[in-house]
Amino acid sequence: MKSPAVLPFKPCTVSWAVLLALTTISFELGAGASGRMLMAAVLALTLIKGQLVVSHFMGLRRVRLEWRIAMAAYLAAVGGVIALAYSIT
Amino acid sequence: MKYQSQAVAKPYFIAALALFVGQIVFGLIAGLQYLYGTFLFPELPFDVAHMSHTNLLIVWLLMAFMGAAYFIVPEEAQTELYSPKLALLTFWVFLTAGALTIAAYLFVPYAHLAAITGNAVLPTMGRGYLEQPLPTKIGIVLVALSLLFNVTMTLIKGRKTSINLILVGSLWGLALLFLPAFYFPQDTVKASFGWWWIVHGWVEGDWELILGALLGFILIKMTGVDREIVEKWIYIIVAMTLVSGIVGIGHHYYYTGAPSYWIWLGSIFSALEPLPFMLLIAFSFKMLLARRREHPNKAAMLWAMGTPIMAFLGAGLWGFMITLAPAQYYMHGTNFTAAHGHLAFFGAYAMVSLAIISYAMPLLRGRVANSAAAQRWEMAGFWIMVLSMIGIALALTGAGIVTVVLQRAAADPMPFMQVQDKERVFFWLRELAGVGFFVGLLVYLRSFFISGEYEYAGEMKRALAT
Amino acid sequence: MNAEASAIRAQPLPGDFAIWIFIFAELTVFGVLFAAYAFARSAHLELFNAAQLGLNRVYGYVNTLLLVTSSYFVARASLSIKAGRSTACGHWLVGALGLGGCFLVVKLAEFHQDFAQGITLSANLFDMFYLSLTFFHFMHVVMGMAILAVVARKAYAGRYSAADHTGVETGGSYWHMVDLVWIILFALVYVIH
Repeated sequence: MKSPAVLPFKPCTVSWAVLLALTTISFELGAGASGRMLMAAVLALTLIKGQLVVSHFMGLRRVRLEWRIAMAAYLAAVGGVIALAYSIT
Repeated sequence: MKYQSQAVAKPYFIAALALFVGQIVFGLIAGLQYLYGTFLFPELPFDVAHMSHTNLLIVWLLMAFMGAAYFIVPEEAQTELYSPKLALLTFWVFLTAGALTIAAYLFVPYAHLAAITGNAVLPTMGRGYLEQPLPTKIGIVLVALSLLFNVTMTLIKGRKTSINLILVGSLWGLALLFLPAFYFPQDTVKASFGWWWIVHGWVEGDWELILGALLGFILIKMTGVDREIVEKWIYIIVAMTLVSGIVGIGHHYYYTGAPSYWIWLGSIFSALEPLPFMLLIAFSFKMLLARRREHPNKAAMLWAMGTPIMAFLGAGLWGFMITLAPAQYYMHGTNFTAAHGHLAFFGAYAMVSLAIISYAMPLLRGRVANSAAAQRWEMAGFWIMVLSMIGIALALTGAGIVTVVLQRAAADPMPFMQVQDKERVFFWLRELAGVGFFVGLLVYLRSFFISGEYEYAGEMKRALAT
Repeated sequence: MNAEASAIRAQPLPGDFAIWIFIFAELTVFGVLFAAYAFARSAHLELFNAAQLGLNRVYGYVNTLLLVTSSYFVARASLSIKAGRSTACGHWLVGALGLGGCFLVVKLAEFHQDFAQGITLSANLFDMFYLSLTFFHFMHVVMGMAILAVVARKAYAGRYSAADHTGVETGGSYWHMVDLVWIILFALVYVIH
């Protein structure tokens, strides 16, 4: 299989580094103030992390559109329900 | 039939169907007693009719599961049964013990029965489904041990397929989960834990695995789909059953005195219990579509396809309706529970038993499939029974709604017996649907008395002519 | 999108189709648990905020790093077998298993500390959710490791190849799912407050 040689590293290696960085950012954010901004920021980072795992670890970026939509919809649904529950307090 | 010793399944299946008839007769009597409380009193009071109805259910399902095990395990292991003689002896012991127990219910007052069977020494009697006197309970354990010894030895000396491992494993589970029957402490909280572990450890856990194994076996045989594919699905269904069922059993612990976290854990996990049934539907229909052959036993295929759907309706949907803690607060023990119990027991376990009987009985009688005429009777029986059972469930659901509105959730609750009076129309509908079910059962049984086997040539000619 | 790229995107799901049915079922289970947590929190905000302070977030952070890295190793194992390198595939999987083992050790240490602090299922609603969610996930890590161990053994035995490596992707997909739900769980239980 030909892979586009745009990056000097494998896509999953880049994803891994990004995941570690985003985890650290979330963790640091959580040490600070609480509230809606924190919720929104961490939730957004988490969904990005989830999508990275789905696309580059599970390898779903190569599969048919329905499956990618199904997985993205799952993440969006979970994120949406959490955001909804947290915003009604 | 590939192995001679599979023939021991035959008496089990026949006895199962005979006991099934008994169960329905007691059901009709008990149903009528809802309308005319003194019907057959004092010869056959409601509690005895009710107890016979539920106990016969358990016994005939166990008979059918045992028959299924004696039929499937040798075929899957590709070897004769370890001891056909022991299996046959066990059958007669079980049947005699079952018959004696029912006779004792009918002719000996329950309190007297408890006194003469040593209930004072080791109290076990008096709980729903576990009314059996001590000697019967010990008998059930011995029968189960004999079955386990026989099928496990067969498994050890033969081929170890996944279907066989799951089937034999879940039979072990069935036996082990019966042991809390001997645990009946004074403390009502502990006692109710023990009770639920048996009744619902079976129907929401272990028996679902048996169901999966039986359905897997039937579909491998009938569709010709690769065993590997079927087994993968069965593993997934088993895993999902355990994921949802083990903690999901917590929906029985609400308001019983158990710690309050069960209200959350039980609600969440039991809400997920329909998932394995959805997977079962997906699995069966995928196998049906992927079939590589047209099996002449159309009736067995109808049972096999009907089982997951009815199980989903009865166990999944009707179960979900009453499972969340706030809903159960009002609905527990009303006729909602009875509606769920009827549809789930029939849809899941009675139907899978009838499916394996439908598949195996023609083979045990020396033919691949019954004649087309016999199958028409059997399939007519299927539809009448299924539709009648849905009727029973709907009528009981109606009665349940009345109880919740007038009694459970009312600001000024109406007394119990007055509510029962308001529900008479639903009890009539239930009884009529019950009669319909009995007719369906007779139509179904009629199919066994039509001789002859499926004739390919004749059926082909008929199909081409039309 | 050019023709070549769309051809690449038309591949079937990695691994056995049946595992994907299971993965979606599992994701549903966790989704329901997360939703229940979120709404329970809304109803008992102060209790949750107070009880959440009892957690040592470092445990959660370290465990996220461990699990993400483990998931990365599994992705590398998959790449290795696609290049036909069975032994490398086995090594990556053993590495992933080691990290999974570390996750379990850290989690057990955390549980030990929790119990010493008096965190129990009955203590309060947050503790109930925290313990159930993480224990439920813990059991999934154990199961995922059992699957990876079987796959690793078969990889070393040369049972997979560049042409036939469905097993690696089947086990791998399940493991990534375990990682994915932990990422959400970490944010939900440890971070957002």
